[in-house]
Amino acid sequence: MPLRAPETVLRLARMGQMMPTRLSFLRVLVRRLCAERAEVRRIHWDICDQGYGQAAYAVDLGGHTYSLVAISNDLPADQRSDRVIATAWDAAFVLFDGIATPAEIARIAAQAPKQEAGRFEPRDLVLSRANKSVRMWNATVAALKAGLQPDPQMIRDIGYLMRTTAVYGNGKFGIADRYLIADRPGLDGPFAAEMLAVFMIRHFTLDLVQHVGGAPLDPSLARHLGIGNATGLGMAPFLVNHPVLLHNWIQARETALARVLDRDTITDEQHTRLQSLAKRAQKHLSDWHVPAEDHDAILRQLEADWAAFLPQIEAATSFAMLWDAAADQTDTLQELLTALLIELCPEDVDDLCHDMADRHGPLIAPFADTDAVKSAVETHWQWALDCDYHNADDCRRFWYVSAAKLEPRLGDRFAEPGAELETPLDIARRVAQLHADLPDAAQPVSKFTETHPQHTHAINRVALLTRYPYAEIRDNLIAATCRPIDMLRCKLSFFGATKFDPKSDLWTRITLAQGAPLGDELRPEMDDWWLPVMER
Amino acid sequence: MSWTEVQTLGVKAASGAGVPPAQALAFGAMLARHVADEGPQGAVQAALDNPDRIVALAHRVETIVEAASITSKPVDATEDDAGTRAMLVSWLAGLPCKSELDVAGPKVRVSLSLTEPSTRGRPERLALTPSLTEQLNTLAAKTYVPDSDASRAGGAGAGLMELD
Repeated sequence: MPLRAPETVLRLARMGQMMPTRLSFLRVLVRRLCAERAEVRRIHWDICDQGYGQAAYAVDLGGHTYSLVAISNDLPADQRSDRVIATAWDAAFVLFDGIATPAEIARIAAQAPKQEAGRFEPRDLVLSRANKSVRMWNATVAALKAGLQPDPQMIRDIGYLMRTTAVYGNGKFGIADRYLIADRPGLDGPFAAEMLAVFMIRHFTLDLVQHVGGAPLDPSLARHLGIGNATGLGMAPFLVNHPVLLHNWIQARETALARVLDRDTITDEQHTRLQSLAKRAQKHLSDWHVPAEDHDAILRQLEADWAAFLPQIEAATSFAMLWDAAADQTDTLQELLTALLIELCPEDVDDLCHDMADRHGPLIAPFADTDAVKSAVETHWQWALDCDYHNADDCRRFWYVSAAKLEPRLGDRFAEPGAELETPLDIARRVAQLHADLPDAAQPVSKFTETHPQHTHAINRVALLTRYPYAEIRDNLIAATCRPIDMLRCKLSFFGATKFDPKSDLWTRITLAQGAPLGDELRPEMDDWWLPVMER
Repeated sequence: MSWTEVQTLGVKAASGAGVPPAQALAFGAMLARHVADEGPQGAVQAALDNPDRIVALAHRVETIVEAASITSKPVDATEDDAGTRAMLVSWLAGLPCKSELDVAGPKVRVSLSLTEPSTRGRPERLALTPSLTEQLNTLAAKTYVPDSDASRAGGAGAGLMELD
């Protein structure tokens, strides 16, 4: 079965419908923790009755021990913001390499609340912060103090006690560069250290609320309290600026799908599991409501379409037949089906997680001459050539970095200042400009770039696709119609996010680790939480 | 500083100096390698003062890579200026592909294996001189768009206060 074409997969409209799979990074991490029967253990606790102070947890993974140091603060309500430009948070965290000693905890406690203004050391692997969902937090504390459990419906609706607003790794603010830990078992996948931090932060939030509430949570409820995240524009440029990673992620996912579709038959066991997961997905969709009317309409349509598609799933005698039956369905349903099929066949899929990192950057050979560049553009970039960049709506957006805490933002070049400082995410326009300037007669590329150095960026992007076909989003990212939320959804699906809750085209809230085993439940049989549902 | 911090700062600084995106990206990779290999940081400062030199150096590396792609033999380059030569070496050593470099006086002999990853190690920390750090930060700041009420309210997403 050939892989789906990049021109199919890497359209924003489809990327904006992607679902988490068993190749998602948090799933991969938790699967490894389960395989190792790891246990999150509390190693430090200096927290007052109101829940403020310091705590630390340790976990063993792949022969190494890692600690999460958590600092919980009394945050005035008027300072609680999900924005990058915030300067204070309910809690701050560092994932530390090794067992955090009291001296290390004290050092981290002095730096972590400063976040971007702090300085960190090579044994600090991840820096993060989180704000409470005040509604979920207060309701949970009140219920526990009253000898009750929190309302399951509220847990379904919100899904977390705190949400992170940044999870920094790979060298930011002095923390360890990724290459220092990239060979470690369990941390070798993309964003693995960040996912470990997130999983342990979730553990801390559960520990903390039980401490303040003075009573234990029912594990079945606790399991469905994940960790939230608010994500804005910073994630979108990442996909453009890390083309090899994007290629590796998409290729792994598409290879997984193709391997499953290559199976001749569905075994009885797989058929039973297929029905079970399809019905779970239906329940998950019915639990998934968002305030944004346009996004909720997509969900309700998917819920109806999926219900109508269930008989085809029941009747399927091969995965290929099922896939063919979805050919005229929406992108949204096809992406859900993709994730379902990948979930069904771990033996075909799980090894692919080892190919999703990028250890060295792009390895590309130069073009033979400018005719080769022209040919590559006309073969792979026709979608970019088809845009009219003189039309205002085809170039209305500009991406930029604000001087305010370096927050990434998106502007209207015809209405706002700063377009001359735009971040070069206008790849399609650059390739079109390159194509227009290429000479009629072939010449060495270096001769061309000597007089047109501004085109080297586009030439490099064109060259990338010859080796990494999934490295480029096939849409004009400066068009008025570009929705960054689609890029966020794609990336977050690879993280393993669920319950996408878009707040605008620019940012979204999501839930991670909802349904995941708790810190003392990490056993192989617990790795069954794709699109989790809390039974009524 | 971490490698990533130095590399990212280098990219921003080169952009702030007016260097085109591809060359700025490559400059950032060169800078981290250069600092790791204890190359002369004054040469970097001089280049940032004259960004055309950065573009020219980037182009020179392009021609070397192009030559390496059509021959299995080493490619030779000559550079009389010691600082520029040191940056050229760092630029080549900072490529993602495997490289072998032999420097003798003004001559640089380079063998590139374009499809094999670099095997060069990277240290835990990099140390920039204060004057280069200041210059890099000053140039990087030129890439940031000044904050405004309008951009703060409309350009980035989340509301300013969140109670839910």
